[in-house]
Amino acid sequence: MQAKFSVYRKEPGAHSKPGRSTYTVELADDATVMDALLKIRDEQDPTLGFRGSCLHGYCGDCTVRVNGKAAFSCTARVAPLAAKGGEIAVEPIRNMPVVKDLISDWDAFLWEKIDSTKPWMEPKDADGAAEPQIDDKLMARVRQAMSCNYCGLCDEGCTVLPVDFKFVGPAALTKASRFLFDPRDQATAERLRILERPKGMWDCVHCFEASEHCPREIAPTERIVEMRDEAFKRGITNEKVARHHLSFAASVKRSGWLDEGRLAIESEGLTNVSGLMKLLPTAAKAIARGKAPIPYLHPKRPGADRIARIIEKAEAKEK
Amino acid sequence: MQEFDVVVVGGGAAGLRAAIAAKQAGAKVALLSKVHPLRTNTALAQGGINAPLGADDSPEAYAGDILAAGDGLCDPAVVQSFALAAADAVMWLERMGTPFNRGADGRFDRRRFGSNSRARSLYVDDRTGHVVMQVLYEQFQRAGIPLFADWFVTSLVIDSARCVGVTALGLRSGTMDGFAARAVILATGGFTRMYLPSTVSMGTTGDGQNLAYQAGVPLMNLEMVQFHPLVYPGGNALMISEAVLAEGGQIVAGGQPIANLAGATRDKICMAIQQAARDGAAVALDLTMIGGQRLRARFPQTVELLRTVAGLDATKDSIPIRPVAHRPVGGIETTIAGQTPMHGLFACGECACNGLNGAGRLAGNILTEAVVFGARAGEAAAAYAKAASAPSFPAERLEEEKKRLEALVSTDKCEDTAGHIHAELGALMDRNAGAIRDAAGLQAARDRIHALKERYARLRVRNQSAIYNYDLVAYLELGSMLNLAEALVVAAAARKESRGAHRRSDFPARDDRTGISHTVVTMVQGAPQADTRAVVAL
Repeated sequence: MQAKFSVYRKEPGAHSKPGRSTYTVELADDATVMDALLKIRDEQDPTLGFRGSCLHGYCGDCTVRVNGKAAFSCTARVAPLAAKGGEIAVEPIRNMPVVKDLISDWDAFLWEKIDSTKPWMEPKDADGAAEPQIDDKLMARVRQAMSCNYCGLCDEGCTVLPVDFKFVGPAALTKASRFLFDPRDQATAERLRILERPKGMWDCVHCFEASEHCPREIAPTERIVEMRDEAFKRGITNEKVARHHLSFAASVKRSGWLDEGRLAIESEGLTNVSGLMKLLPTAAKAIARGKAPIPYLHPKRPGADRIARIIEKAEAKEK
Repeated sequence: MQEFDVVVVGGGAAGLRAAIAAKQAGAKVALLSKVHPLRTNTALAQGGINAPLGADDSPEAYAGDILAAGDGLCDPAVVQSFALAAADAVMWLERMGTPFNRGADGRFDRRRFGSNSRARSLYVDDRTGHVVMQVLYEQFQRAGIPLFADWFVTSLVIDSARCVGVTALGLRSGTMDGFAARAVILATGGFTRMYLPSTVSMGTTGDGQNLAYQAGVPLMNLEMVQFHPLVYPGGNALMISEAVLAEGGQIVAGGQPIANLAGATRDKICMAIQQAARDGAAVALDLTMIGGQRLRARFPQTVELLRTVAGLDATKDSIPIRPVAHRPVGGIETTIAGQTPMHGLFACGECACNGLNGAGRLAGNILTEAVVFGARAGEAAAAYAKAASAPSFPAERLEEEKKRLEALVSTDKCEDTAGHIHAELGALMDRNAGAIRDAAGLQAARDRIHALKERYARLRVRNQSAIYNYDLVAYLELGSMLNLAEALVVAAAARKESRGAHRRSDFPARDDRTGISHTVVTMVQGAPQADTRAVVAL
């Protein structure tokens, strides 16, 4: 089978302009995109840069975009792509700085973000000899998070990282979530305190793109939501966003709908004078346009009592 | 130039465990790896990790199974010591957070795997290696050990018959640096990428073995190469854990199950498949009797990869299989503490050979070995470093090594490529040094490897760019594979019997008069020389 590839090229250095190279390759019928890249480097262009390791879809090192769709180049088959005719486009995954060609900067994109989350267990009982009994349901949750192969596709799908590269991102948060329900760990509270800081778990906007993009069905967004819930349960709620969530829930429980003015004030914190001062220009503009919600003067909506009962039931269930 | 007490080369399970142990013993440690630790071949170990933890089990029973799999070639003292240490080493992984599968009582669920006589393989779904690797990397980070990922070690630095460090190329920066060390630990994994097809990762090219070999350190039992019986040969060869057999999967030839494979060693299963294929039967793996739900729950990764790579539904379709080169049993000769015959040089994990496995490795032992002997090598290297004098890294060595690599780069026209030589080597090894060998085939292989080495000597690196020069990496890796392939073929020719993983059609029987000794191959004046080493009796 003959296939034509259009491959993204970029020389190292911030100022180099990206381009494309095209290659025509003769391949076996069951060839993968990785086979094609290896053949191109070996026979046509030794300067082509790309990564790969396990060749079997285990390790996540060779993640690229093939015809605009994220894929592991070692498991993506060429035949169905070549059958469509035209060039097969191979590009680095999005949201990630490129070092050279298809080689993305995993250090900045993934490893350093993970490193910032205290990504190791502090064992409660490092020297014990007896076999501990642990419910496999707990272990299954840990296994699910640890089936992650660090392919970066959740971060690639993330809608926050393109606007704020300092956000720790769903991959690092998924890694951190691996410890959350592990009874052997004693650093969970400390880790949650690290992650409640700005650029941490509260910067996720739960758009669910991470879960859509994860090829292992780990559902990173759900892992992040679990982590926030756990933070609440442990009383790690002094962060602004945590206050926002508490005020939000309290308002709906109280009146059946959202007291937006009060939400703004309580999110900043009643004693946070500088934070409250920052709200004033927005409040002034809203007043000028007749759209100011008056905080605390917030009538109950019809059916509010039923909504409150639903919330109370859910709260009882949580306990 | 950087200086450490202990430098570990290789970021897989054995290297990580060694680094943690050396650090805990008080050494200043660094780890260099040509790929990030979370991208190593350790991730491919699926089925389980052995430890004699069951009420029906004991270190003695475990040792008995290891000795049987080793087919008379294990060093019994090493086996005994290993069997006694295994449970603690695996429990350490549990303490550090490995989420082993548990039964309804909350205790470890254990698989009976391969020729183990007991259910003693703890497991993490079908991703045991992938998860153990993560736990080891977590603890490596917890220990605060500096990591040099994407660093390719190009040579050992030897001074007065002592290894005093390494030279390495930073793939990202494109710069060479020297790493002086009181002790160096090689933990670079296997070499079976010299076979094609092969179950292992791209980088499993025996670089560490080649470094030791070139420094005059003997390689032991290289002829013992395990073939994995259950490999879907299409694409890049997809391995299916033998644990599926323990769960009810069947090997069928011409539609009929092959009998008598329950609890058989890996090499016996390979032989049966090869025989059936030679008789003209289509050999396949049938997993349908495990049941769709159970199959998806117990082997999620296998089901996923068969779907994506082979387009097969493992819950319905039968899967074509053949034996494919999997793991070496032999490697750099070491003591039980990982000490090689070279002062200051240690080795552990798959690149090392300390007499544990003899002629064959018990299924489920590879990860246990990595943690048991990784820790021991780390401790021994740290103790050695404490007692040793400061390393005298000759300043000119770094410059010499830079010049050597620069001289490899040339833009002169050359029709030959590293990929072509590798493809020929791979097919040659699969055919002539595969699961069944004979004298004529091995001699032909040696001649052919000689010719390939001549072509390699004329080959040049064409990429002049320093940053991420994988053209250079592929060239260096091919050099490792050619050297080791030659040594392997010499070892296989020297063993004129069939034992364990080594099967000779011209010497089909085991011969205890000549066979109970290790084969060692040493590089003497640039050529491999075979010798024997006595098996150390208890």
